[in-house]
Amino acid sequence: MNTIELPAIMDNLEEGIDFILAGIEQAGVDQKMLFQLRLACEEVIVNVINYAYPDSKGSMQISYDISDNELEVVVSDSGVHFNPINKEDPDLSIPLEDRKIGGLGIFLVRNIMDQVEYSREDGRNILTMRKVLK
Amino acid sequence: MESLVKVELVGKTVDVTLTGKLDAIKAPELMEGFKKLIGMEIDKIIFRASDLEYISSAGLRTIIFAKQKIGMDAEIFFEGAQEAVLEVIQMSGLDNFLTISEKV
Repeated sequence: MNTIELPAIMDNLEEGIDFILAGIEQAGVDQKMLFQLRLACEEVIVNVINYAYPDSKGSMQISYDISDNELEVVVSDSGVHFNPINKEDPDLSIPLEDRKIGGLGIFLVRNIMDQVEYSREDGRNILTMRKVLK
Repeated sequence: MESLVKVELVGKTVDVTLTGKLDAIKAPELMEGFKKLIGMEIDKIIFRASDLEYISSAGLRTIIFAKQKIGMDAEIFFEGAQEAVLEVIQMSGLDNFLTISEKV
């Protein structure tokens, strides 16, 4: 696993995403998949930045590994208990004017990745997502 | 490419030009631009997206916000988007509520 730990603030979003993407680029994926993986990474990192530490400052740990052509990304924090995948998918048939502004991010992550799992261990939120790279 | 958002009001039309990335870093700026238009009479919102390279849910939310808060009765146009951007719009179901067109 390649790991980086950063303060969970918006100023570090780009660095967190680029850390993962640099590894993926070496694996030789096409631009379309790179776009989608950037999106999935942004969504899970932004979740931590926005929700993990409502009343304090804290850090996020971002790890990735590629083995047998499968990418695994793990994003964790020691903030408040928050399970982003324990949400109903948004109803995409609802007209825009009635749409709730939320839940879209993790919905996109689920669409893009093959697997998305959440666990709470030792006071940490751990989000793991996997995708076979083509 | 540097990420830029430009919002102009021309008559009853809101003209939005997007360049680079519309992500969680850039979307708040567009949201602020839209907030200034709340309460105005708007019948058309045009997103010019041919130089938009990337969009995330934060960017999609600004489109939903525009519809809900400034253009409830307005038609929303999304013009010239690249395939990867369009795919995210389709994945989120927004394509049913936008008039999507090729670059004009």
